[in-house]
Amino acid sequence: MVSAPGQSRLLDVSDVTRLYHLGEADVWALRGVSFAVDVGENLAIIGPSGSGKSTLLHILGLLDRPTAGSYRFAGVETSSLSDDNQARLRNRAIGFVFQSFNLVSGESALENVASPLVYAGVKRRERAERAAAALERVGLADRMRHDPSQLSGGQRQRVAIARALVTNPPLLLADEPTGNLDSESSRDILDVIAGLHAQGLTVLTITHDPDIAAQASRVLHISDGRVVSDERAASADTVSA
Amino acid sequence: MTYAEALRLALRRLRTNRLRTTLTALGVIIGVGSLVALLAVGQGTKAQLTSRIASLGTNLLNISAGSTFSGGVRGAAGSASTLTTTDADALRSLPGVAGVAPEMQVSNVVVVDGRTNSTTTMTGTTPDEAKVRNYSIQDGTFLTALDVAKGLRVAVLGPSTVSALGTTPSAIVGSTIDVNGIPFRVVGVTQPKGGATGFNDPDDFVFTPITAVQSRFTGATNLRSIGVSVANPNQLAYVESNIESTLRTRHALASGTSDDFSLASQNQLLAVAGAQSDTLQHFLIGIAVIAMVVGGIGIANTMLVSVRERVREIGTRKAIGARRRDIGRQFLVEAVIVSLGGALVGIALGAIATGPIGHAVNVTATPSLDGVLLAFASALVVGVVAGYWPARQAAGLDPVEALRYE
Repeated sequence: MVSAPGQSRLLDVSDVTRLYHLGEADVWALRGVSFAVDVGENLAIIGPSGSGKSTLLHILGLLDRPTAGSYRFAGVETSSLSDDNQARLRNRAIGFVFQSFNLVSGESALENVASPLVYAGVKRRERAERAAAALERVGLADRMRHDPSQLSGGQRQRVAIARALVTNPPLLLADEPTGNLDSESSRDILDVIAGLHAQGLTVLTITHDPDIAAQASRVLHISDGRVVSDERAASADTVSA
Repeated sequence: MTYAEALRLALRRLRTNRLRTTLTALGVIIGVGSLVALLAVGQGTKAQLTSRIASLGTNLLNISAGSTFSGGVRGAAGSASTLTTTDADALRSLPGVAGVAPEMQVSNVVVVDGRTNSTTTMTGTTPDEAKVRNYSIQDGTFLTALDVAKGLRVAVLGPSTVSALGTTPSAIVGSTIDVNGIPFRVVGVTQPKGGATGFNDPDDFVFTPITAVQSRFTGATNLRSIGVSVANPNQLAYVESNIESTLRTRHALASGTSDDFSLASQNQLLAVAGAQSDTLQHFLIGIAVIAMVVGGIGIANTMLVSVRERVREIGTRKAIGARRRDIGRQFLVEAVIVSLGGALVGIALGAIATGPIGHAVNVTATPSLDGVLLAFASALVVGVVAGYWPARQAAGLDPVEALRYE
């Protein structure tokens, strides 16, 4: 599992811990997690609820900071970044896809997709062009003016994926992307994500569903805040933590 | 995110919640509306009061007879405690004095013109009255020096008195009226001065020669007041002190004792009236400020609810790259837009309401640019203050917590 850091290394997680203070009790959500992700991988992180996978997702997504350990994103140590610089990195380098889509109602699909570009300081005309292109990429060119409430679950998640792609980030971070979808829409969304991976995007999916994890080229099992196995689809090399 | 982007976002958000936006802005609408209207009425009142005082006479010094003795110590017979006609004569020769009008008053006289009658005040005076108290004639003539010298029973009426008698100026001039049973020939009617209040109508009076009042009514030389007009306004203070020392000498007042008359210049009256109307104005502004504060609380409350409702949206925006200040700006701009939008509506409604409100209290009121700018500026302050705390709360949300929020 531990390979020498090359130019293709995107994420480097080293002995990351995360401690929560819940009232009197201290809870270790992560107890020393280490792994690395190369550019172009399709990684699934799987584990039961309470395993720490959500905490790991938040840290990988720069929404939370580890209590200890190192997390390098594209070679940059993230713990020393200011809040604003973390926000900038989220904006440019990470596309989020959430279980419940998290689209803003009252704004059209196009406006939703364009919103990351607002924070990137992109001009209005260019925003509209890029958002339209992203919607085309997920096959929703004909739904641009629709409000999220007028779209089906699968279509909403496509809009959310387009929003994640619009800044051309190297990493797509998906949190139970099919958790709120029926099986047909789920397959549909997984196909979209697989297609993006095929185009070279690094995809990291958090899930508790082994069927979804099975589609990934590499699966990381998490339990009790530790990585318990790291399996590659081709060569099944398993490492115990 | 630039302010222009925040503005666009806020407008979109407020458009989708039209009813809530309107209700939220209502407090500011009422506050700004009342600020504009009440300020206009206050300013109108002040202007009216000032012009009314100015209409009493230009460069006027008013001397009133004193009614007090110094603690009764010098209350002996023969000590002059009131103004007399000879006092008035003495003032006439002082330098800088343009006119002196001794005024002898008989209150509640009954004026009878044929079958109609009216109760008014009769003032015995001299031709200088017109100059000193700023009267002009619309029909006939004012009192003449000859009228006063001969003590003729002639009268000049105020226009309100004429209408109280149910007649017109042109009809009454030349006819004879009875004042407390004594016949007087009407020689003139003055121009209306206007500005009547419920208690005091400056156009309701009978002017007669002071000599006629002396011989027919009072039989004395005591005056109620003396009006003095000063030739040059810059000499007002100089003439005032000259009058004071002249009267003190004439009344044999020892130094250290207080005057047995009171001397007031028009400027002092204006200052008093100005101070009074300023007090009124401050009171009215105070009411409007309270309305604005209530409006601000309304905005703050709605914004806090809005932050609660949009926790997930805030979390999502942070995830896709919004910084703290981007989120804060979004909510602050929203509050300011509600407030300023309310201000625009409030200014329009206030301007519309100003006329009727002024009419109801007998004041000519027009909304002023000052009032509009003041209202707009206070709405801006209210918006910023009301939006600050909710915006801070939104900006400070932890993205992880916000995304997890149900």
